[in-house]
Amino acid sequence: MPEKSVREMTLFERQHYSLASRTFRATIAGSLVLGLVALLVGLGLYAYALGGQYVGAAFDLSRTASVVLPYAADAEALSGEVMARYRALSDEEREQAGTEAYRAHFAGIEADGTYRAAVETLKLLLGSGDMEALYLGRFDAESGAFVYFADAAADPAAARGPGDWVPTESRTIRKFLGWDGVGRLYRIERTGTGGWRAVSGVPVRNGAGETVAFVLADVRLTAVAKGMRSFTLQYAVAMFLAVNAVGILMARRMSRTLVRPINEIAGAAERYVRDRKEGAGGTEHFAGLKISTGDEVENLALVMADMERELSAFEDDLTRVTAEKERVGTELALAKRIQADMMPNIFPAFPDRPDFDVFASMTPAKEVGGDFYDFFLVDEDHLALVMADVSGKGVPAALFMMVSKILVQNETMSGLSPREVLERMNEQICANNREEMFVTVWLGILDLSTGRLTAANAGHEYPVLKRPGGDFEILRDKHGFVVGGMAGMKYREYELKLEPGAKLFLYTDGLTEAADASNAPFGKDRMLEALCRAERGTPREILETVSGVAELFVGDAPQFDDLTMLCVHYIGKDADRAGRELTVEASVQNIARVTEFVNGALDRAGCPDRARRQIDVAVDELFSNIARYAYTPGTGFVTVRVAIGREPAAAEITFTDGGAPYDPYALEEPDTTLPAEEREIGGLGVFLVKKLMDEAVYERREGRNVHRIRKSFGPAGAAPRA
Amino acid sequence: MKIEKTLNGNALKVAVEGRLDTMTAPELDASLKDSIVGVKELTLDLGALEYISSAGLRVLLSAQKIMNRQGTMKVVNVNETVNEVFEITGFTDILTIE
Repeated sequence: MPEKSVREMTLFERQHYSLASRTFRATIAGSLVLGLVALLVGLGLYAYALGGQYVGAAFDLSRTASVVLPYAADAEALSGEVMARYRALSDEEREQAGTEAYRAHFAGIEADGTYRAAVETLKLLLGSGDMEALYLGRFDAESGAFVYFADAAADPAAARGPGDWVPTESRTIRKFLGWDGVGRLYRIERTGTGGWRAVSGVPVRNGAGETVAFVLADVRLTAVAKGMRSFTLQYAVAMFLAVNAVGILMARRMSRTLVRPINEIAGAAERYVRDRKEGAGGTEHFAGLKISTGDEVENLALVMADMERELSAFEDDLTRVTAEKERVGTELALAKRIQADMMPNIFPAFPDRPDFDVFASMTPAKEVGGDFYDFFLVDEDHLALVMADVSGKGVPAALFMMVSKILVQNETMSGLSPREVLERMNEQICANNREEMFVTVWLGILDLSTGRLTAANAGHEYPVLKRPGGDFEILRDKHGFVVGGMAGMKYREYELKLEPGAKLFLYTDGLTEAADASNAPFGKDRMLEALCRAERGTPREILETVSGVAELFVGDAPQFDDLTMLCVHYIGKDADRAGRELTVEASVQNIARVTEFVNGALDRAGCPDRARRQIDVAVDELFSNIARYAYTPGTGFVTVRVAIGREPAAAEITFTDGGAPYDPYALEEPDTTLPAEEREIGGLGVFLVKKLMDEAVYERREGRNVHRIRKSFGPAGAAPRA
Repeated sequence: MKIEKTLNGNALKVAVEGRLDTMTAPELDASLKDSIVGVKELTLDLGALEYISSAGLRVLLSAQKIMNRQGTMKVVNVNETVNEVFEITGFTDILTIE
């Protein structure tokens, strides 16, 4: 396998590793191995056949010679003569074979008639055939040799003389001597010049059937070797051509049935990807392929075509579903807006009502939610306050919320008390509530002239109340069961007297259960802390503070519940009489605001101009004093309270600050009789206050500085004090 | 508060309208210091002044001290409220009120 992936390869490498090339190479290699085996087998068969033919010829010749020879010469006599002399020789003398000295031991035999006749006969028989030699001799087992008697060699120079011998392996000797006359007796041996020869022969027997000699014929197998060489050459050429032809055919076939179809599929896939990217249509990339190989490749193409169709259908589905989702999203956004618009959200909500101030907000966690608040005037004198939380989230909760809100408002507007409203609402919801949804509701109706609050709580969070002069505290009111939970539920209502200046804070669990990143809830303690921090503010400031603190607390943690809050500040019909409060930062910048606030009350009380200006001077003096000295060098708040008294008409103004103890009246009174050059301004303001006001006192109370001034402006005719 | 200044030779007339209190006094102070140089005769018209607090008194005193050195100063058209303050604080003795 190549080390690189196909994508990294060059064109050449791709061709090298292509299926066609590999098939071609594998075919060639396989064919070569097969051809080689076939060649070896063929060569063996060839050698066997041709060799057998030569051996047969040699065998036949030697048998003919063994039949003919007895008629021409006495082989037994010749054998006896030569063998007698041979045996008489010592080993040393035998070693000299081939030399003149050795020949001398057999002198005279060549002249003998028997020998001559034998040689002549053998030569005759040998003729001019393929045989190398035809000779007569005998195996001598004792010396391990073949002893020649008469030799008719085709090459006279190579002919052996009588008595010449060649060493012969005992195996050969045993084979020839022990021959049972069946088949051909032969052996194959190497010639001295590196060729091969076959030696075949038959024994020559005397009358008694004893073997007296062997007639042997030598035949060279050169032709066989030559034949094998040319056979091999022709075979190799034929095989080369055949193998290449087969390889090419196989590669072509492979290319036609496998490579080309695969490439077509790959091409289709590439076009598919490209068209997808370009956004072009066309869903017939694979279906259009003409592959009819009838095998796995065709199947692959069909499967790909199916897949493309399926994908296309899936995509259409997805597009439809996405469009549907978008539509739903748009509708949800619209629903959210409708829901938000259902709740009073224009502030100040009652700009012409000085006797109360209300502010509310809802921050939905996601899309539409189930929280809602509401406030509305039942009549001129009664303000209804609603805070509710519907079970569940999303569209179902929103639908349920709409119904709940309308029910609460309708029933309340019909003049029912909170308890009756909740009971009526519960009956109506339970009548058709198969989804078993419910809603927690806190409903209160505030009598604006008396401050009497009638409320009922259907499983909702405790409200938080701040009484004038006190802190925000949780009001553990009587709880009833949730609305929609069970038919026939009875609710209890309770009454509470709100003093002018009281503030009531309502919320849903989205606030107290708002969790930070570590899943810790915001909790009631943090809520109270945030409320106390803003307790002197307007309802809007209070809600903004709480909301800010909660947001800081949760940080980036996702919120799962709506954050809904409402705060009402009960000022009262006779607010001026009960006292109005304004809390501002102790800064000279706020003098105008304080003066305006005080003048508002004075104007409503019909305070004469003169007294009003005197009071203005006193306010200016006192407030600027506090601004300069109370918190120096830091800053803090001053609460200004104005109360208008009747009979006699009088204004009482107090300034309360949390600064360092400071009694301006403790200073020595300035000498107002000194000439200009010696006059000091210090203390003059306070002196003025004392002179202009009926009463001007300083008190240190509960760690706070309280400056109180009082000025009566009396009924007409009652001259104010100068 | 509104300040209207009329310079006639070395006589300067300054009309003050509105409230002369902690917030506005520094403005009048700066305005007077700006134009008082070389003035021999300073007239403060307080006809349209609603009220005056000690911060305003300080400005008047400061101006009176300067005019004591370089000429004369008088305060005219003092209304009841302002006059009351002048009386309480002994400024009636210091200022020349007409």
